Amino acid sequence: MGGPAWLTGIFAAAMLAVAVYCTGRLIAARRWRRPTELDTDGAHVVMGLAMAGTLVSGLRTLPATMWEAVFAAGAAWFGWRMLQARRGAQPTPWRSSHPLPHLVECAAMVFMFLILPASAAARGISMTATESRFSFLTLPLALFLFGYAVWLGDRVTLHAPVLALAAGGGSSTPHPARRHLAPRCAAICKITMGITMGYTLILML
Amino acid sequence: MSESLAVGRAPAAARGPARAAGGTAALDPRRKLQLALGVIWVLDGILQYQPSMFTTSFPGMLAESARGNPAVVATPITWSANLIDHHVAVLNAVFATVQLALGLGIAWRPTVRLALAASVAWSLAVWWLGEGFGGILAGTASPVNGAPGPVVLYAVLAVLLWPADRDPSAPFVAGRAVGRRVARATWLVLWGSLAAFALLPASRAPGAISDTLSDGAVGAPAWLAWIDTHAASALNDRGLPASIVLAVLLTAVAAAVYLPPPVVRAALVLALVLAAALWLAQGMGELFTGMATDPESGPLLALLALAFWPAAPVRPAAQAGEA
Repeated sequence: MGGPAWLTGIFAAAMLAVAVYCTGRLIAARRWRRPTELDTDGAHVVMGLAMAGTLVSGLRTLPATMWEAVFAAGAAWFGWRMLQARRGAQPTPWRSSHPLPHLVECAAMVFMFLILPASAAARGISMTATESRFSFLTLPLALFLFGYAVWLGDRVTLHAPVLALAAGGGSSTPHPARRHLAPRCAAICKITMGITMGYTLILML
Repeated sequence: MSESLAVGRAPAAARGPARAAGGTAALDPRRKLQLALGVIWVLDGILQYQPSMFTTSFPGMLAESARGNPAVVATPITWSANLIDHHVAVLNAVFATVQLALGLGIAWRPTVRLALAASVAWSLAVWWLGEGFGGILAGTASPVNGAPGPVVLYAVLAVLLWPADRDPSAPFVAGRAVGRRVARATWLVLWGSLAAFALLPASRAPGAISDTLSDGAVGAPAWLAWIDTHAASALNDRGLPASIVLAVLLTAVAAAVYLPPPVVRAALVLALVLAAALWLAQGMGELFTGMATDPESGPLLALLALAFWPAAPVRPAAQAGEA
């Protein structure tokens, strides 16, 4: 990427922290049987790893084509969840009840890997979407992610049970006695992901 | 006044818990506009993190805003540009982080007042030291090149969207905090000044508008460059008639805020169209060049227009339910 090394390093560290934390959430949710958005946390684990590799070439784990396939599958999953929600399917606290932002995140990841030239990716040099015929997507994607981060920032001050509903539970839960797993921390992870992904997209403008 | 009322949270009970918890239905129009302002601040912060901002290009850009200004204005600009030039990495990181914090501070309800107040102070400082008061004193201000300086619009919006209800029955969001008279006067002065700037000698010169449009095409993606290049070609050497038409439209928008709601709506639609046109003319704030520090005046003028959109006033019963 084209930013100063220390800055991209900070963003990459934040992404790795999100990936590690979300892995911990998945383990804790299973062990303590506390609801969390399994699909969102799972997506953020792989997004954190992929973003860290995008920002710092030394942290690259998989080739771009594999990441494209992973995030295309993620986009398909969240798209299917959106369709289900539109058809009035019963919400569950174990899956995201707001799949649209995660669908956009997955689409943004596919977009970034598609327009990132392989040679540039290999050498970790700056990239730009300006010459791409899909350049008009970069700014709206970044703005959507910033908007999502700001919206979550507004929601994060609501008290935890309400935030859990907002974040992933909907109005009916199969285990009303079990509280959602750390909804504020989950929101902070989403904000961090949105800001970092937006930063990466802005670097591609 | 409770904090929930102050930030404009709608009564949850009236809307149902699920909607109040998760949907934008739980936000009143002022809170939505505050969040939109927060998004623009976040964008500003991230733009400030761009690689070119950590080079001497950034202080060089700031120093250029001193040109043509009186010494009392220009000297502090030059001084601050020199200071930034010597510590560009550290100071630019601080500037970017401050703007990001302002955006997130507006989003986070407990800090909305602090963030809005800080954004006013920050905007006024940057208006002077970063934009040279938008070229107003240099005689180069033009609505096409972003006059009166995009950053001062952040301050205006922060005041108009302040979470207080001095005039809760105001028929538009901007009137709630400062009262409808002050809000309308602010609108009149702002859009009226844009009309006046459009008629300044530098703005109405034959090639002024077409030159700005051509500049907007530099570094832009093909579709935007096509728009700006063709518009520049169409307006080449037609600076005077184009400026007169623009001034007439801006004057109509400025005065319409005192007219009945149907006329106001039509004028606000015109304001939104003008804001979009000005933004395109500005090359969308040159966001694609890697040198943009903000999205320019277009999006902020649009946000301002939405703050004046006629809407149902806040009902006393709803306030009582929230307090």
